[in-house]
Amino acid sequence: MISFIIRKFLLLIPLLLVISFLIFLGMELMPGDAVDFMIPPDALATISQAELDLLRSELGLDAPFLVRYGTWLVNLVQGDFGYSLQSGVAVSSLLANTLPATLELSLAALVLSTLFGSILGVVSALYKGRLSDNVLTVMGMIGVAIPQFLFGLIMIVVFVFKLGWFPVGGRLTVGNEAFLQRLDHLILPSVVLALSMTAGVMRYCRSSMLDSLNKEFIKTARSKGLPPWRVNLVHGLRVAMTPVAVLIGFRLPMLIGGSVVIEQVFQWPGVGQMFVSAVRSQNTPIVMMVAFFSVLIVLIASILVDIATALLDPRVKLS
Amino acid sequence: MKKIIVLVVLLSLSVSLFATGTKEASVSTAPWQEKGTVLSDVRVRQALLLAIDMQTIVDELFEGMAERAISMTSPGVYLAEGLESYDYNPEKAKALLQEARWPKDYTLDVVYYYSDQQTVDLMAILQQYWAAVGVKSSFRKLEGDLSAQLWTPPADRKVGPSEVKWDLAYAAVAALSENEFYDRFESTASNNSTIPYQEGLDELVKATRATADVQKQIEAFKALQREINKNMYNIPLYHQLSFIYISDKIDLKQNALGNDQFSYEKNILDWTTTRPDGMIYSNGGPMEFYEAPVVNPGLYLYQELLFDKLINADENLTPTEGMLAKSYTVSADGMQITFDLRTDVLWHDGRRFSSDDVLFTFEYLIKTPGLNAVALNTLKSISGADAYLEGKASSISGVRVEGNKVVVTFETLDPNALLTFSQWPILPKHLLGSSNPVLFQQNAFWQNPIGTGPFKVAQTVMDNYAILERNANYYRTGSGNIKKIYLHASKENDGNLIKNAESGRIDYAWSKSVADAQAIEKIAHMTVNPVNIRYTRLFWVNQYPHPANK
Repeated sequence: MISFIIRKFLLLIPLLLVISFLIFLGMELMPGDAVDFMIPPDALATISQAELDLLRSELGLDAPFLVRYGTWLVNLVQGDFGYSLQSGVAVSSLLANTLPATLELSLAALVLSTLFGSILGVVSALYKGRLSDNVLTVMGMIGVAIPQFLFGLIMIVVFVFKLGWFPVGGRLTVGNEAFLQRLDHLILPSVVLALSMTAGVMRYCRSSMLDSLNKEFIKTARSKGLPPWRVNLVHGLRVAMTPVAVLIGFRLPMLIGGSVVIEQVFQWPGVGQMFVSAVRSQNTPIVMMVAFFSVLIVLIASILVDIATALLDPRVKLS
Repeated sequence: MKKIIVLVVLLSLSVSLFATGTKEASVSTAPWQEKGTVLSDVRVRQALLLAIDMQTIVDELFEGMAERAISMTSPGVYLAEGLESYDYNPEKAKALLQEARWPKDYTLDVVYYYSDQQTVDLMAILQQYWAAVGVKSSFRKLEGDLSAQLWTPPADRKVGPSEVKWDLAYAAVAALSENEFYDRFESTASNNSTIPYQEGLDELVKATRATADVQKQIEAFKALQREINKNMYNIPLYHQLSFIYISDKIDLKQNALGNDQFSYEKNILDWTTTRPDGMIYSNGGPMEFYEAPVVNPGLYLYQELLFDKLINADENLTPTEGMLAKSYTVSADGMQITFDLRTDVLWHDGRRFSSDDVLFTFEYLIKTPGLNAVALNTLKSISGADAYLEGKASSISGVRVEGNKVVVTFETLDPNALLTFSQWPILPKHLLGSSNPVLFQQNAFWQNPIGTGPFKVAQTVMDNYAILERNANYYRTGSGNIKKIYLHASKENDGNLIKNAESGRIDYAWSKSVADAQAIEKIAHMTVNPVNIRYTRLFWVNQYPHPANK
């Protein structure tokens, strides 16, 4: 297993190189550059091309594409993530400011959705065809179908404007900066994000559990006289969780960029908002680092999924 | 939305009624053909406006929250009397097009650069109006280097060909001074990409800058407007309004409301709030950085409250009494201004403000890319500015520091000099003195700016909120009880404004969005106050030939 893991991690290097080059190229192919977004279009009419060119030169945007990519790569290897073209702030500082917010929101949603999705999926499978299964199936469909922004806005209208239980948005309020003090800010966005994710886990877990319950080893366990809870929850659920673990594993990348819509709706100051803004304003150093870390997490998640699958399913061997 | 659909359907029907009547043009050469573009014919330009029912668009699409334009100048003392309004008259438009021998197979290439829904709706409506008089048009959104695509002038300013590749460009001009509307009509203007040299036009533009006498300036602007209006050198569409939103938790003590894109005296130190903690809520807090006051120096409330200017301005942006200068005098010919600076001013970090900061600010801003044209023109008009910019002098010789006095001597008259000094703040030399002016915005200073204004930064949580607190050392005290200002992080267009207003977390804010105004009008504890601003939407008409319009 160790050699498998080492081999997989070594393979990450060429993959990251190719992907980072493609992302940099994608930014290059977009029309215009960062300077075009620093000055409002109406004001551009009174600014000379020479001034704009001077700004481009100072920001290093006038160098050839390959030189800029090479510089970015060399700096990255040396631990320098670059600077925001808009503000001059180190990208590492920007990530340090926004990443905790995103991780907080995404982790809360991931934990909630995994917990509720798995429980409801198992319940749905065990009561297949009965009222509870049908109700959960319909709820699951609604959860998958309803757009996050719409769901978020409905929740704001009900729980903020009508009931007044939660703040309208943001991550914290003045003077309430400790985690427990700002928990009320986290509840609504994480529940909205979790509910849409729960539906997926629940449907996946239900079908996986049904599949598992029809396997030979379950019949053997039952014939041995084991109690139903042990058959279902120990033998059945363990195998049923393998595909669910894969699903959750592949959701790890959304820890960074998967909550963009929710961040916008709830004014959550996370990486998603920063990334969208950076793409719009062609702030390449920020786009590159967020994309780079997202890709890195996808690749690491796929390795972790392989490992988790092997641990959960005795039939799978890593080689 | 329903209204837009009805409007488009009605216009589509009228296409079939009107468009079929166009006669085939005569085979003889049309008068515009030697100039290489049909848009060089004034009748065509007039017809394009006559074909549009702008008043209905204002009433229906903007629900009355805009004003139809007959000039770039907004209604007020600068607007010329007796301008032709070119009211909606499709029959007259058709007749003019026929007279000008409009080529029926020609498709107008119209560009725009806004992506908001209202712009898209407006473009769809205009296309139908023009189709109704037999003018085909296609619309495309420009992306990328807008400056080069929109404003590059031709090498030959008399006959072209054009450097820009479109027929009409839908644009906006947000002007601090009237000159920002009209300087570009001069044939030598660096951003005049559309209007060929016209006899007498340059002289009319120059006349607006030739005097410091406001009354004479007004007359010069009116004469210029009449010439532009008669020849339809561009097509003004509507004046956009700004909307100021005020909650019932604050009292502005009858202070007048003005153009919040720039700075004017709000006397915020006199405002009161019923909130027990003395905090009021607004938006426009920093996202990643505080925006440097370069292009629009008062766009965000913090720009106005953190920094003082040499001179104050009223709600009409008319310069008034001194601010950092306790008084100032202008020579009779307008070529020299003397500022007598206050001696009791401290920067927010406790350092004393001095005349060195004033000189530093002038020399710094003149080298900052993107500086608003009004300010740049003022600074470049100072004696010795050229030599300083060319590196031949280490300082601008026209700015003389004499103790607490700063004397500014101009090489050429700038009628907007006082306006500039009432809008652009003075910057701290001790914090920015060694920095590169080209990368002004990228300086760490804009993570926690230090000014001399009535409020200072107390706390910043980037992308979340910022809190300004009353500056205890400010040289003026007020009668109000506002202690702190909470700024929700947002850009100029704040997608969360309505939500925050609804939840009682906005006390003062502004936007130019009709949709915002319509929504906030329905919130019981908020009032919406429309304000006239110098902001005109229009079409620039490319009157040079280019490959497509030959």
